[in-house]
Amino acid sequence: MLCTCSGQQFQFEENEMPQSPESLATRDFSVSGLSSKTGDWDSKFDDSQVDDVESTLKETLSLNYEEARALLGRLEYQRGNFDAALQVFQGIDVRGLRPRMIKAIAERTQHRKSRPKGENVQVNVMSMHSVSLLLEAILLKSKSLEQLGRHKDAALECKNILDIVESAWPYGMPEGVRGESKLKEMFHKALELLPKLWKQAGFLEEAISAYRRALVRPWSLDLKRWASLQKDLATVLLYGGAEVPLPPQFQQVWAHMTPTSNIEEAVLLLLILMRKVAFQEINWDAEIMDHLIYALSLSGQFELLAGHVEQVLPGIYSRGERWYLLALCYSAAGLDDLALNILKKGLGHSERKHKLHLPSLLLGAKLCYKNPSHAWEGINFAMKAIEFTNNQEKHLRGVASHLLGVCYGYCAQSSISDSQRLRLQSESLKSLQHAATIEKDDPEVVYSLGRENAIQRNLNTAVESAIKYLDMVAGSSVSGWKLLALVVSAEQNFKDAEAIVDLAIDETGKVDHLDFLWLKASLQVAQEQPRNAIDTYRILLAMIQVQKELKSWSSDSEVKAVKDLEMEAWLDLSFIYTKLESWTDSYVCLEKAKSVEIFSPKCWHATGMLLEAQSLHADALVAFSVALSIEPDYVPSMVSIAAVLRMFGGKSLSLARSFLMNALHLEPTNHNAWLNLGCISKAEGSLHHAADCFQAAYELRQSSPVQNFT
Amino acid sequence: MSSDIAPSESTTFWQSIHQAQATMHSLSLILGPLPDPLTFSENPTTSLLHDANISHDIKSHLHHPDSGSGDDNLCRWLYDTFQSTNPGLQLVVLNFLPTIIKVYLSRAISQKSLAGFEAVLLALYAHETVIRGGEPQTVILPNLTNPSVYHEAKTPTKSKAVDLNIAVLCPALEPFGTVRSTKRARIIGVALELYYNNLHDMPLSSKLEFCEFCVDWAGYNQSLEEEKQSNPKTDASCADQQGEMIQVKGGEDEHGKKGRRIPLPWELFQPILRIVAHCLLGNSNSEELKEAALVAAQCLHLRALHDMNPQAILASRSLLRLAKMPGDTIFKPHVVNDSSDLAASQLASKD
Repeated sequence: MLCTCSGQQFQFEENEMPQSPESLATRDFSVSGLSSKTGDWDSKFDDSQVDDVESTLKETLSLNYEEARALLGRLEYQRGNFDAALQVFQGIDVRGLRPRMIKAIAERTQHRKSRPKGENVQVNVMSMHSVSLLLEAILLKSKSLEQLGRHKDAALECKNILDIVESAWPYGMPEGVRGESKLKEMFHKALELLPKLWKQAGFLEEAISAYRRALVRPWSLDLKRWASLQKDLATVLLYGGAEVPLPPQFQQVWAHMTPTSNIEEAVLLLLILMRKVAFQEINWDAEIMDHLIYALSLSGQFELLAGHVEQVLPGIYSRGERWYLLALCYSAAGLDDLALNILKKGLGHSERKHKLHLPSLLLGAKLCYKNPSHAWEGINFAMKAIEFTNNQEKHLRGVASHLLGVCYGYCAQSSISDSQRLRLQSESLKSLQHAATIEKDDPEVVYSLGRENAIQRNLNTAVESAIKYLDMVAGSSVSGWKLLALVVSAEQNFKDAEAIVDLAIDETGKVDHLDFLWLKASLQVAQEQPRNAIDTYRILLAMIQVQKELKSWSSDSEVKAVKDLEMEAWLDLSFIYTKLESWTDSYVCLEKAKSVEIFSPKCWHATGMLLEAQSLHADALVAFSVALSIEPDYVPSMVSIAAVLRMFGGKSLSLARSFLMNALHLEPTNHNAWLNLGCISKAEGSLHHAADCFQAAYELRQSSPVQNFT
Repeated sequence: MSSDIAPSESTTFWQSIHQAQATMHSLSLILGPLPDPLTFSENPTTSLLHDANISHDIKSHLHHPDSGSGDDNLCRWLYDTFQSTNPGLQLVVLNFLPTIIKVYLSRAISQKSLAGFEAVLLALYAHETVIRGGEPQTVILPNLTNPSVYHEAKTPTKSKAVDLNIAVLCPALEPFGTVRSTKRARIIGVALELYYNNLHDMPLSSKLEFCEFCVDWAGYNQSLEEEKQSNPKTDASCADQQGEMIQVKGGEDEHGKKGRRIPLPWELFQPILRIVAHCLLGNSNSEELKEAALVAAQCLHLRALHDMNPQAILASRSLLRLAKMPGDTIFKPHVVNDSSDLAASQLASKD
């Protein structure tokens, strides 16, 4: 019977044709020289096959048609005759046998639980042995199809196994299932095989649901295989290129604990895996960590990521690498100071070994670049980076020069002696120009160059750079527009500057409009158009109100920026009204500003200005002193105090002079300070010095922007 | 087969066929007569998506110096096709997204009108805005003290669930009627997110092109080559561990125009990297794609290093490391070790 069904395709020439099931078994036995584990078909033949047949015979006293086919098919599979194996397996009517197999598995495990030991199994139920044999046949059929390149058919076949076992055990593998090791093994193999087959066949959704099927129920997989499946699912979810939501039934059961997106599900799986690593249930796996870094970087969860980097046991990452990673995490999380400390520690260590880590140096310089108060350290980092770039990393030298130039610029601004300032300023320009020759395509270098030139009041060059920068980024940079408008305003060309601001408002989004409106209003004030300026401030304040009401999802820094802007707008309005001698309006605006932030030197300075305008000199002095007590380095109040003291004359003049000298130390480009200093010198009779001061004040005023270059 | 389909389903089926045929008809008015197998295809949308000749024709139209203006018929066709709300036809449009973005970005600097390209990009952006319904895309960070679909909590949870940590993947989208230049990256980024979500169904050629364009956009191909030639044995973190040299097409496309480096803020870098990650580590059988993706990932990593953007460095760096790791490492753990450093720490502990 066997031969009539499928014998034609078989290649039995060398061997004797099997005459009966027994002879098949004997032949099995004679061929198998090697023994190996059960179910491992890839390793030749094994003794267990004989045991299989024997035990089948013992249990049912006969080897039925399907079992015979299962065994024969296995033999063909082992020989690599996948076509022939498939032919044999196709003779097994899986669909017909399914209910019996399900019943057999279910009953067997149920009975095992409920019935007292020693009772016999029902006679008409299929034996567990046959069930495993048949499951193996299905699995091998699926594998044969896989070998023949028919991945989709293979997957559909493999899915049968899962369907059968899942129908029998809807809640996962019951506890206490022992003995059926072969059944378990077949099933576990099918669990692992199915998603791979769907992937090979190019069915992403099916692959993902196959993984989920294997992972959501307890199937008593061993830890490593379980972890491996979890990792594979995480990978498919992260890189699959399609969103495959969890089926709704999970969402009902787990409610808000259900991942709502693939990336979330992947992160969950990876965190579970990391915990397994931490509990040493599985070995350290660099891939899990890198997938986690990737997933958390995409979703911006850097503090969590830093926690995991810190938990990594020593010896896995080198010291420098670990510190670099941590610094990256913290700086990405916005904790720049923490990142900087870590870098310093890491670099101190590697410096002793004369092996500096270039990216760490660059990161250090970049962190200082973001915070002017660390500029001196930034110079240090960047100089070392330039020194240590070897030939293959020479393309990073431009980056280092850029950072160096910017840090020099910051240092120049806070420098206390003129000669040092000049030296630093020229170093800054030199480094930036050097960076521009290396990083020809990097618009940010051009921006920095423009900004530094603007600060040094080389306005023509600054305008050129700003225009070039906006061209390079195709107008996509808010700070580029702002720089251009400010530089043009510094050229005292307020009309063009206002036109640039209008253009910028067209090219930017709503949030950026606030800054530009403020700038526009300042330009209108400079053009002595108080009415237009008041209108612009009105629009600005209305927009701020809208922003505050829609503040969902804005970060703390954004909220603060909007608050600061609101205060500035009220203060500016107060100045306008003060100038127009409309005292009550000015007070109203001032109160509004104070309601936003009372402890701001700017508010108290404005109060002083208002009092001063009303000739309440003593009161004004008090207000300016309050501003200085809040922020001792607040230059405008120093200058204003000096101006009031100057009017008192006499002994107050020297006091006023010291205030002005202090102010000019902090801000040498403050033309008001120079003007007042000139007046004092004139009053004291040193006319030459006074003329110099007036000259400086005039020139500086002719090149001041309406707002500071930030 | 048709008898299996319920009447309502069959009408929608026929509707979509009609729609596809109408779309092809209007395309033939622009490109000239379409080849027969396409016109008489049983599944016109799929054929349209995968037909290499048509793709080539459309792409060369897009590359034409006068393309992308407000009265460009092809852009209008792409716009109308996307607005058809037929998912199959929308895929056809997405197929050309890399080319559109590339040509658009290379001309954004000129003062030419690019209203045609912008209309298509804004249509994609608006589509995604509607889908998201004005909500930001968030990721709820799993807290392992709560049980989940995939694990049980080791300690019994208290009656109240432990706090959830929410991360914002992409902030809420504000609607745009025009492309403002500072919002260009956002609009293109969102369009690319849409592309990413359909990446599994995209033809290989589209992904390959995308990877090639990335090399130009990142702008460090030259440095990469130099670095490789001067042979590379630096630290494990860098892109330069690649032993063998990979041939790149030098950023020179068939139309002879070298792409230009573009600003890559995170809102654009993130979707680009996700697409490259799919090409590199997704389940593709194409070695060619993987190689192109590897080069793209290396260039993006170099760019991240140059911009010193920690977020981008971390993400691109881990991708490169993953690309270099051998298969399954759970069974055979792959431990990165800096032996000299370890030796040093041992020495230090002896002291």
